Amino acid sequence: MNVLRLAWLRLKAIFTGHRIEREIDEEMRLHLDLLAEEYEQNGMTRKEADFAARRRFGSALLIRERGREVRGGGILVDLIRDVGYGFRILRRNPWFTAVAVLTLAIAIGANTVIFSLVNSLLLRALSYPDSDRLAVIWSVPANHPEQKFPGTSGAYVLLRDNTRLFEAIGAARLYEAFTVAENTDGANWERVQAQWFTQEMTAVLAVQPMLGRWPNDGDDTNSLFIVVSHGLWQRKFAGSPDVLGKKVLLDLGVATVTGVMPPGFELMNPDAEIWIRQVVTAPGGPLPRSPNRIFTAIGRLKRGVTLEQAQSEMNALASQLSQQLPEVQRGWGFKVESLQSVYVGRIRKPLLIFQGAVFFVLVIACANVAGLLVAQGVGRRRELAIRSAIGSNRWRIIRQLVVETVLLALIAGLLGLMFASAGLGAFIWFGPADFPRLNEIGMDLHVFIFTLLISVVTGLVFGALPSMQVSRADLTGALRETSRSSTLGPQRQRLRSSFVVLQISLAVVLLIGSGLMLRSLLLLNMAQVGFMPHGLVTFQIPFSRSVYYQGAGNTPAGGLMVEFDGKLNQMTERMRDRLKSVPAVASVTVAITPPLGGMPRRVTFTREDTPTEPAEREAWAAEWYPVTGDYFETLRIPLMRGRSISPDDAFSRRPVVVINSALARQFFPNDDPIGRRIRFDLLDDQPREIVGVAGDVRQNRYELSLQPQVYVPQDQLPRRMDLNIARQVLVKTFVVRTSAPPIDALRAAVREIDPTAAISTVRTVEEYAGAQLQDLRQYTALLSIFATISALLCVIGIFGIMAHAVMQRGNEIGIRVALGASPGNVLRLVLRQGLLLVSVGLGLGLAGAVAITRVIRTFLWGITPTDPVTFMIVTAALAVLALVACYLPARRALRIDPIIALRID
Amino acid sequence: MKEIDLLQGTLDLLVLKTLGGGPMHGYRIASKIQRLSADVLRVEEGSLYPALYRMEQKGLIESEWGLTDNARRARFYKLTRKGRREMQKETESWLRLSTAVARVLKALEQGT
Repeated sequence: MNVLRLAWLRLKAIFTGHRIEREIDEEMRLHLDLLAEEYEQNGMTRKEADFAARRRFGSALLIRERGREVRGGGILVDLIRDVGYGFRILRRNPWFTAVAVLTLAIAIGANTVIFSLVNSLLLRALSYPDSDRLAVIWSVPANHPEQKFPGTSGAYVLLRDNTRLFEAIGAARLYEAFTVAENTDGANWERVQAQWFTQEMTAVLAVQPMLGRWPNDGDDTNSLFIVVSHGLWQRKFAGSPDVLGKKVLLDLGVATVTGVMPPGFELMNPDAEIWIRQVVTAPGGPLPRSPNRIFTAIGRLKRGVTLEQAQSEMNALASQLSQQLPEVQRGWGFKVESLQSVYVGRIRKPLLIFQGAVFFVLVIACANVAGLLVAQGVGRRRELAIRSAIGSNRWRIIRQLVVETVLLALIAGLLGLMFASAGLGAFIWFGPADFPRLNEIGMDLHVFIFTLLISVVTGLVFGALPSMQVSRADLTGALRETSRSSTLGPQRQRLRSSFVVLQISLAVVLLIGSGLMLRSLLLLNMAQVGFMPHGLVTFQIPFSRSVYYQGAGNTPAGGLMVEFDGKLNQMTERMRDRLKSVPAVASVTVAITPPLGGMPRRVTFTREDTPTEPAEREAWAAEWYPVTGDYFETLRIPLMRGRSISPDDAFSRRPVVVINSALARQFFPNDDPIGRRIRFDLLDDQPREIVGVAGDVRQNRYELSLQPQVYVPQDQLPRRMDLNIARQVLVKTFVVRTSAPPIDALRAAVREIDPTAAISTVRTVEEYAGAQLQDLRQYTALLSIFATISALLCVIGIFGIMAHAVMQRGNEIGIRVALGASPGNVLRLVLRQGLLLVSVGLGLGLAGAVAITRVIRTFLWGITPTDPVTFMIVTAALAVLALVACYLPARRALRIDPIIALRID
Repeated sequence: MKEIDLLQGTLDLLVLKTLGGGPMHGYRIASKIQRLSADVLRVEEGSLYPALYRMEQKGLIESEWGLTDNARRARFYKLTRKGRREMQKETESWLRLSTAVARVLKALEQGT
C-alpha cells in the first residue's frame, strides 16, 4: 500500500508541482522571518538579524530541491519535461520527423496487421465453449499416420459407445453440397454446402441454435431434419421466425427446419449453411459394416484429460475395432488432434512467415531512421556539448535522446495503427478465400498492446544506439568546431554504414523470398494440368427425382434402390447431342463435378490380388470421377494404355475402371495393371477391372505430387453411394469444348430439350483453375508488398548515406578537383564507398537467404528454395537499384566547384 | 556548551516526540528541541525540512496550513496514528540503546 500511496503522491505532484514549490518557499520564508525576529529580540538590529538568519539557514535553494525530490513528482516530472522538450525538437525538424514517422508507421502498421491475424487466428480460442477440450479423431493408415481421413460409421459407433475419456463423441460429414429450394415445390433452388451432424455433435460443440433447437430423439428417424445458418435464414426466409417447422426441398427429399444457428457458427467448413441430422446405429446395436470413410469424429474431452491420454485410449479402441471389423478396419488406427490445431494448421505457417517478414521490414525501417538520427546527431553535437558543459550528466542526455526517439516511435505507432486498420480491412476484403474464421479477424486490446510495445521497443532500440555514440561527445572539440564543418567521425560513419549493410541484407532475403514465390506462381501458371483447360465451358443443371424416377415403392429409407432410372440418362444424352450441334462446339461431356472445380471425392481402395497391404504403400485413396467415355475426348486427357470407358459398359455386368498413370506407377510398379482388379471401400461396389490407363490430371494445381485417380462409368456406380436416403435431385455438370463461349446459344439448346431446365454456375474451366491459385497469389502479393517496401527503404538508406558522404567530403573533393582529378576519378572515389557497402550487404543477404528460404519450401512449386535464377535476378535488380542510389549523390560530387568548396572553410 | 549536530535517525525521533505534544510548525519544532536540550542540540534547517517531508511521505506525520499565534500563515505538522506508533517504538528502542550504551561505558570506566 505504501508503494501505491507513493505512486499516488508522485502522480498528484505532477499536476501540483508549482504549488508544492510555492508552499516550500512560503514555509522557508516564515522560518527565516521567525529566526530573524528571534535574533532581533536578542538585541540585533533588523539588518543584522536578517543577515544572521540567512547565514544560519543556509541554502534555501538546496532545501527546496530536496523538498521537491521528496514531495515532487520525481523522475516522472523529469520525464514529462523531457517529453515536452522532445516535442519541441521534433517540431523544429519537421522533415526529419515526417520521414522518420512515416517510415516507422509503415513498418509498425505492417507488423500490426500481421499480428492482428496471428492474434485472431492463432492465439485466440475457437468460439465454442471450452473449445480447448474439443478434439478431432482422425482415421489414419497405421503406417502413414500423417494421412488423415474421416472414419467409417462402424469406427464411429465403437468410439462413441466405448470411450471413457471423452464426455461425448459426435460425427460429422463435413463437405457435402446440396441444392435447397425454399419450399417443397422446388422453387428458387440454390446450391449450398451442407454438413451432416450426428445427434451427439450438439453435446460436443455445446452451441445452441439462436432460434429453435437441434433435432433430437423425438424426431422421426426416417425423416430429414435440418438446422440452417443465420445467413441462409436471412437470405431465403427473410429472417422470419416462421422458418421453424417449415418444410423445404433438398435433393434428398423434404426436410423440416428445426432451428437457426447464431451468426458465425461453423465447423471446419465456413461455407456450410445447412446442418442435417445424421442417424446412425443407436448404442447397443451391431456395428455398421459399411466401408465408406465419411465420418469425421469430433469429441469433447472430459476435464483434465490430455490429448496423449485420449490418444492411448483411441489406440486401444483401434485394435479392438480391427478385431471386430477386420474387413474394413485392418491396418487403420486413430489420431487425436485438437480442434484448434486443425483450424490453424494450414495457416499457421504462412502467418508465422509473414510475421517474420514484417519483422524484417521493421528492422530495416529502424536502421533507416537510426541512420538519419546519427546524421542528425552530428548537427546536435554542439547543443549536447553545451548541455553537458552546464552540468547534465551522460545518462541524462541519453535519456533525453531516447525519450525523443520513443516519442517518435509512439507517434509512428499511432499512425501505424491507423494504417493497420485500413490494411486489415483491405486484407479481409481481398483476403485468401481459404482463411478460416475471416469474420473473427479484428483488432482488440492485445493488438493495441502489441503495437504499443513494438513502438516503444523500436524507439528504445533505434534510439539508444546512436544516442550512446552522440552523447560520447568530445566537449572541447564539439564546442570549438564551427557548425558548418561538423562531420561524422569515423566511428559514427562506421555505425551508419553497418545500418545500411543490415538493411541491404534483410531486403535481399525478403526479395528472394517473394521472388521465389513469384516464380512458383509463374511456373504454376505455365504448368500442365494434364488436359487442355482453354476453351472449356461448364454449367450445371439439377434433375429432379420426381420427373426422372418412375419405379414403384420408393420408400425413402434404406433398401437397395435405383436412384434414377434410364430416363435421366436419355435426357442428358439428348441435351448433349443437341449441344454438340451448336456451332463452334467441338465436344460435350456430362460429369458430376467440373474439372478443376471443387474437391473430388477421395475413395480408399485395395488391390484385389494382394489383399494384404504392402507396408510401403504411399497413398490410400484415389480421386473418384464418375464419367462417360467422351470425358477424355472433351478434356483431351490422353489415354496411355488400354481402352477408354465405352457406352457398352452400361450394359455389361463387368464393373470397370480407368486408372491414371500415377496410380499405375504406385500400385503396379512391376506388372501390367490392365486386367487386374481393385476393390474400392464403397458399399455395394464390386471389384473393378482396370481396362485403361489415362494421363495424370492435376486436379489440385497446387499439389506437387500427382494424385492417384480413377474414372468409373457413370452407368456403373454403386446403387447408393453412402446415403440411406435416395437423392431427390441430381446435379449434373456439362463440360463443353468450344472455340467461342456462346453461352446464350448453349442455354437455348438446353431449353429446346427441356424448357424447365435451370442452368446455373456457368464458368470456364480456366476460371476454376485461376481460383485454385488464389491463395498463393495473395500470399505472394503480400510478401511482395513487404519486399518492395524494404527495397525502397533500402534505396532511401543508401541514398541518404551517400548524399551525406558527398556533402562531407565536399572539401576533399574540391581539393582533388583543384589538383587536377578528372570527373572519372571523383566518381570512382565516391562510388567505391557506396559499392563496398552494397556488395557486403548483398553478400550477407544472399548467405542469409540460402539459410532461411527453406521455411517457404511448402509454398514453392517446381523450384528449390535456393533457385539460382531467382537469386541471380534479385541480386542483379538490387545491385542496379543500389547503383542508382549511389550514382545520384555521386554525380553531385562532380558538380562541386573547387573554388566554392574551398572557400567554405 | 558546544552545540551538537543531530544524526538523522535521532532527529526523526525527536521531531516525532516533539509533535507528540500537538501540531506545530517547523520553526517551533526546531526551537523547542533546542530549548528543551538547553541549547545543546541544534537542529539544522537543511536537515529539518527534508526530514519533515520524508516523514510526511511515509505517512508518519501530516500537515496543513494554519495560523500562528500572531496570525501568520504557517504549515502545521501533526502526528498520524502510524506516526504515534512509530514514535513509541522508536522511543523504546532509543532508550534501550542509550541505557545499554551507558551501561557499557560505565562498566568500562570502572575498569571491570
